Amino acid sequence: MVRRGRGLAAVVLGLCLAAAPGALLAKEKLTVDLVNEPSSLDPHVQWNPDSYYVYRNIFDNLITRDDKGNIVPQVATSWKYLSDTEIEFTLRDDVTFHDGQKLTAEDVAFSVQRITDPKFASPQLGQFNKIIKAEVTSPTTVKLTTDGPYPALLGQLVKLSIVPKHLVDAVGKDAFNLKPVGSGPYKFDGWQRGVQVTLTANDKYWGTKGPFASVAFRAVPDAATRVANLQAGTSDLAVTLDSDLAAQLKNSPKAKVLSVLTERVAYLRLNPAKPPFDNAKIRQAVAHAIDKEAMVEGVLGGYDKPVPQMLTPAHVGWVNDIEAPSYDSKKAQALVKEAGEGGKAEIELATSPVFDQRIVQAIQQMLSEAGLNVKINMSDMASYLKRAQGGIDATPSLSFGRWSCSCQDADGVLFPLLHKSSSWSVYRNPKADELLEQARQSLDDKVRLAAYRGVHEIVAQDVPLVPLYQSAAIYGAAKELEWQPSPSESLFLNRMTWKD
Amino acid sequence: MRRFLLRRLGQVIGTIFGVVTLIFFLQRLTGDPTYLLVPETATQADIDAMRAALGFDRPLIVQYLAFLKQIASFDLGRSVIQNVPVWDIIASRLPYTLQLAGGALLVACGLGIPVGIILALYRDHPASRLLASVVLAAQSMPTFWSGIILILIFAVTLGWLPPSSTGGIEHLIMPSIALGLLSMATFARITRTSLLDELSKEYVRTARSRGVPMGLLLRRHLARNASIPVITVAALEISNLLAGAVIVETVFAWPGLGQVTVQSILARDFLVVQGIVLLGAFVTVALNLAADLLYSAVDPRIRLDGSRR
Repeated sequence: MVRRGRGLAAVVLGLCLAAAPGALLAKEKLTVDLVNEPSSLDPHVQWNPDSYYVYRNIFDNLITRDDKGNIVPQVATSWKYLSDTEIEFTLRDDVTFHDGQKLTAEDVAFSVQRITDPKFASPQLGQFNKIIKAEVTSPTTVKLTTDGPYPALLGQLVKLSIVPKHLVDAVGKDAFNLKPVGSGPYKFDGWQRGVQVTLTANDKYWGTKGPFASVAFRAVPDAATRVANLQAGTSDLAVTLDSDLAAQLKNSPKAKVLSVLTERVAYLRLNPAKPPFDNAKIRQAVAHAIDKEAMVEGVLGGYDKPVPQMLTPAHVGWVNDIEAPSYDSKKAQALVKEAGEGGKAEIELATSPVFDQRIVQAIQQMLSEAGLNVKINMSDMASYLKRAQGGIDATPSLSFGRWSCSCQDADGVLFPLLHKSSSWSVYRNPKADELLEQARQSLDDKVRLAAYRGVHEIVAQDVPLVPLYQSAAIYGAAKELEWQPSPSESLFLNRMTWKD
Repeated sequence: MRRFLLRRLGQVIGTIFGVVTLIFFLQRLTGDPTYLLVPETATQADIDAMRAALGFDRPLIVQYLAFLKQIASFDLGRSVIQNVPVWDIIASRLPYTLQLAGGALLVACGLGIPVGIILALYRDHPASRLLASVVLAAQSMPTFWSGIILILIFAVTLGWLPPSSTGGIEHLIMPSIALGLLSMATFARITRTSLLDELSKEYVRTARSRGVPMGLLLRRHLARNASIPVITVAALEISNLLAGAVIVETVFAWPGLGQVTVQSILARDFLVVQGIVLLGAFVTVALNLAADLLYSAVDPRIRLDGSRR
């Protein structure tokens, strides 16, 4: 009897000892459900959310954004403009790559040269092609030269990852993509194609270390399955949910909903070269016919937020007191009636399955109520983009889209959408072009804001676009995961914590 | 036999060439992946440069000849989206597709054939009518729905099985059932019809009148004679299962070829689609050939060279 009691005590003690380290270590392995697997992990090649979520944890950037969206140091500790076109970055001296080699100014200059080299043919070139030169000026300083003043440079550079020159030169592009080595808080561990990419914590990281010893990023294309995985407790974080799926998580004992307003703006683009939108009155009617509040509250579950201008408060270029045409269905109807026969022309509303079709249908209905004749035309994303950038004739009368330049600067939104030189633009307004050029060429925020105010006012009056709402990103997460998602839709593991 | 194989080989090459040519031009009708690759801020010059770098600025016929040359040297090319050789993508996905098709076939045959036999032997029994409607219901459920219902019951509520992804055999159970239920009804129906056909033949009546038990008759004679249509259907269903698992793969996050095909079509990843289509055409043709060969093994009256015995 005594003996058995002692044995039991030993077992209990043993169990406690066995369980204790687990409890202290909190979360060993985090499982993240993405939509698809990354296309590539070489940060200078493919650029899409699923690649971005993963590789941004493997690599450091010159600079980054904090959770509030401010641009803050990362590998660079400080920077100063030497002239309107030259900027010098001072670098940290204590950063090492995962292979133990030190990160130097050479690596930084190499990374910029690599992604901007036309022969390398990076799909991301369009974000960095204003940079014409990257030079090492001392062991800890790098100078970048742009082809003119470029105010969005820092906003773009938060996405430029630093790769190790010695390794990329040695193994080449393809091998580096299969086994990337960076200097970030997580190291590449393995890639099981179609299934998952695994990372392990970098114990020697110079900055905030990641809280999980290992992380698996899995490809789970069906959103309902991502939610089921959270409910069953087989995943800890899931990206890209909609409000209906989020509602399912509300009562889950294991999971919760995290959401953030992103820098993505939903908009309607009108083609003023095509009837009936050659008539400014009809364009204004569209602006008055759309009830953004009802759209956001009624259809999108209240996560998103209506905007009066083609930006979000997360952008440089947002102007506080811009007034958009108000929702007024009577006025919209009157404007359409005034246009007479011209108002009855059939309007093609182009969209793609990647966008929320509930919204597209709501738009069709609101415009029909105003007396317009709208037909939805859905095509896959490649065809949609081809037409959207195919010039004035190819561009549909009306298209729904969501815009993000991932740079949080008005130059990445308004210039491509409105300036006559852009493949996206079907709007021809010399005044708007002039303001956009002015804002692009000045490093003075006051000058830029004044110019963008002018652009916002033109958009509100002349309606080449109807800005709709600032899109929300909705995530599902295990109850224990503490994380503040960011407007840039990044997923930095070392900014998460786990509370048992 | 040799003449038969030679003739079939000629057909195989012709079919595959036709399929590959068709898919090459069909895909290119709607443009190329350039717009999907570049960021929103890309200028027209950036877009043109990207297109040239990918080689999509060349005339179609030049691209086609380059592609044929590549195929002739057994090179499937590289994916422009995933930046790896197409063969690596296919090779990494193929085992999963085979596992799922195998599991589904097991469910489909394992349930379908016995059910078909029961339906044939007890065709007038009310329970058999009930069984027939259950089979029909199983076939009528769309997989995107039945899949998620299976997940909610067995993974979320009961916690018996993992909801998605891969790993051990337990990961394969739900996808196999969801996919297999669809073909199960086909197997049941064809088994029933073909067995009924045999049952009405005179040798069966004679054997029965001489007191041969049904079980023995079934094993010795009926199973063999009734299996020809079942083999035909199996060949068709296997190629279906290999190609048609897109929805099940998506719902269960199963990394098979179906998923990668649809993603590659949407991404305009031409070479990956071409590689998979080439493989699919080859497998379908090979399975049909295998079925033809099996016929003569099962029923020696069928001769492959067309001559009569």
